Amino acid sequence: MAYDIRLKNVVKVFSSGKHKGVVAVDNVSLDIEDGEFFALLGPSGCGKTTTLRMIAGFEQPTEGSILIRDEPMEHVPPFHRPVNTVFQDYALFPHMTVLQNIMFGLKMEGLSGDAAKQRAYEALELVRLPEVANRRPSQMSGGQQQRVALARALVKRPAVLLLDEPLGALDLKLRKQMQYELKSMQQQVGITFIYVTHDQEEAMTMADRIAVMSEGRVLQVGSPRDIYEQPQSRFVADFIGETNFISGTLESHDNGVGHVRLAQDTVVDVQMPKNFSLSSGAVTIPIRPERIGLLPNGNDSPFHNMEDITILTGHLLDSQYIGTDTRYTVKIPGDNEIVVRIQNVDYLETVDFEIGQEVQVFWSLKSTHVLDH
Amino acid sequence: MAADAKVKNHVQDIYVDENAVRRDMLLRRIGKIGLYFNPIFAYFFLWSPILVLVIFSFNRSRSVSTFTGFTLRWYNNIFNGVMGTEVGFSTQNMLLALRNSMIVSFSATIIATIIGTMIAMSLSRSNFPGKRILDAVLFLPVVIPEITQGISLAIFFNVLFGWWQSLTGQRIFPGFHTIIIAHVAFNISYVAIVVRARMANMNPRFEEAARDLGANEWQTFRYVTFPLILPGVVAGGLLAFTLSLDDFVVTFFNSGVGTTTLPVFVYGLLKLSITPEINAISTILMVISTVLIGISMLLQGRTALR
Repeated sequence: MAYDIRLKNVVKVFSSGKHKGVVAVDNVSLDIEDGEFFALLGPSGCGKTTTLRMIAGFEQPTEGSILIRDEPMEHVPPFHRPVNTVFQDYALFPHMTVLQNIMFGLKMEGLSGDAAKQRAYEALELVRLPEVANRRPSQMSGGQQQRVALARALVKRPAVLLLDEPLGALDLKLRKQMQYELKSMQQQVGITFIYVTHDQEEAMTMADRIAVMSEGRVLQVGSPRDIYEQPQSRFVADFIGETNFISGTLESHDNGVGHVRLAQDTVVDVQMPKNFSLSSGAVTIPIRPERIGLLPNGNDSPFHNMEDITILTGHLLDSQYIGTDTRYTVKIPGDNEIVVRIQNVDYLETVDFEIGQEVQVFWSLKSTHVLDH
Repeated sequence: MAADAKVKNHVQDIYVDENAVRRDMLLRRIGKIGLYFNPIFAYFFLWSPILVLVIFSFNRSRSVSTFTGFTLRWYNNIFNGVMGTEVGFSTQNMLLALRNSMIVSFSATIIATIIGTMIAMSLSRSNFPGKRILDAVLFLPVVIPEITQGISLAIFFNVLFGWWQSLTGQRIFPGFHTIIIAHVAFNISYVAIVVRARMANMNPRFEEAARDLGANEWQTFRYVTFPLILPGVVAGGLLAFTLSLDDFVVTFFNSGVGTTTLPVFVYGLLKLSITPEINAISTILMVISTVLIGISMLLQGRTALR
């Protein structure tokens, strides 16, 4: 597989300004494949935008190197890099019309006249806004400006398109629609997208792979499914979706199954990741609330005889109705409180739980996982 | 029951002093009227001398104390070489002074606008040692008295030319060059301050976007930065032109033979006597300045840059 962008041990320490001395990016290495929709995901201040700006050429790495299509980018100014950026606030030139904005990049390449105009109209067609060519940016809605910014970058036919939280300023409905459109547009043009966002749902929806960043470091790179199902650190498990953290002691393991003691009389089985750092000791089991089932205690649940099912008894502490589902807080052995999410559906018999009652929680071995801290 | 009674008592404790309320209302009303008269008073204070000048430039009588009727005679006079009974006035001299003023103002404005814009660019787009000091010093010509500037420049030229004479034996005399340099010296600050305000309001992403789209530094300036700061540059230039056109003190200390500008010329007339013709000239000057400043302010407030 050809790599479009490679970051090798990139470090960025700001040397001036109000962030002087701050390590914004700390030893980041990434290989981004040709044609990939790659998301850089993390909370604000995690270094994702700085990473993007270094790829664009607005910032220089303090250490390490950036390669675009195997070309080292050291000392290559932004205007000579085969990448284009869609800025968070679009940065459409206010003194130019939409058409002039889109043709700007072509004009800088020396392309003008009808050829440039045709390509500009093609780009407007691609973002489905052919009718706004002669308007000024200030005469358009945020969503339209967003599309024009996209057209302005795509018209240059870059190897890689960099997107810095491009949907951040749009309202929820429009954002959802644009997520879908961006994804299909990316598949249509076949350009590598590097997408910076702090919105985990956005990253999950669109990206082929996600790099989760925190405090300047890349904590995990993987497909949305990998990241969600196999988080390799507490931060990733916590940042992506909702997670219960059950603490216990790993006692032994065999055939990729670990045995974790939660309390004196309670041992649960968990899937062990390959190359897990510990063979025994204190561990955390992250488990998603929607992967846990809930039944009143004493019921002979249909799952009792199934293999690889863990069943624990506990007390119901609280329940919250939140529309799509109900969240139950259950106290289970070992002083652990876990959240269970049950979808509110009508095709199954619903059980009315009372707070304080004894309940059973159960989950499959496949939903489990273990972290060393 | 006891608890109930307590609550009731509590409610009765809320006591409204109607006199206090009335007093507060009265104070507020007086305050409101006061705020209304405040600007009227301030503007009257600012503009009444100028208003008197304008009115008496149309006064039929020569007197500057009673208004006897409307006339355009004084305006007519200044363009026909007549100035009452006074000697030494000719329209030709006045037009010559006007021409001198134009030479000085145009040259000083163009030079100051270029240098001032360059300073504004470097102050807002780059980091260099001593930037903060330059930033602070930039405001000096705005705050130090004009007389200080005029004298210091005169002394500076004197020292410089004396030094030049000792080196080459040639004596340089003050003239247009000294006036223009002096005007440039104080105008740079005004231009730089206006342009820098414009730059500070400009989103740096515009320039990044231009570079991202393939524009090199010069193209970025040519196609993006400059068009966006142009209203600021023009506004700064108009301000500089107005200040230059009106300047008396700095010009007076730095002028030579044959470089009398219009304000200096008017001052010369004033030494003889106050005549309605001076009022007319001053009114014309004031109208030009007001129009230029107005355009300058309109440009500074124009177009969003975010």
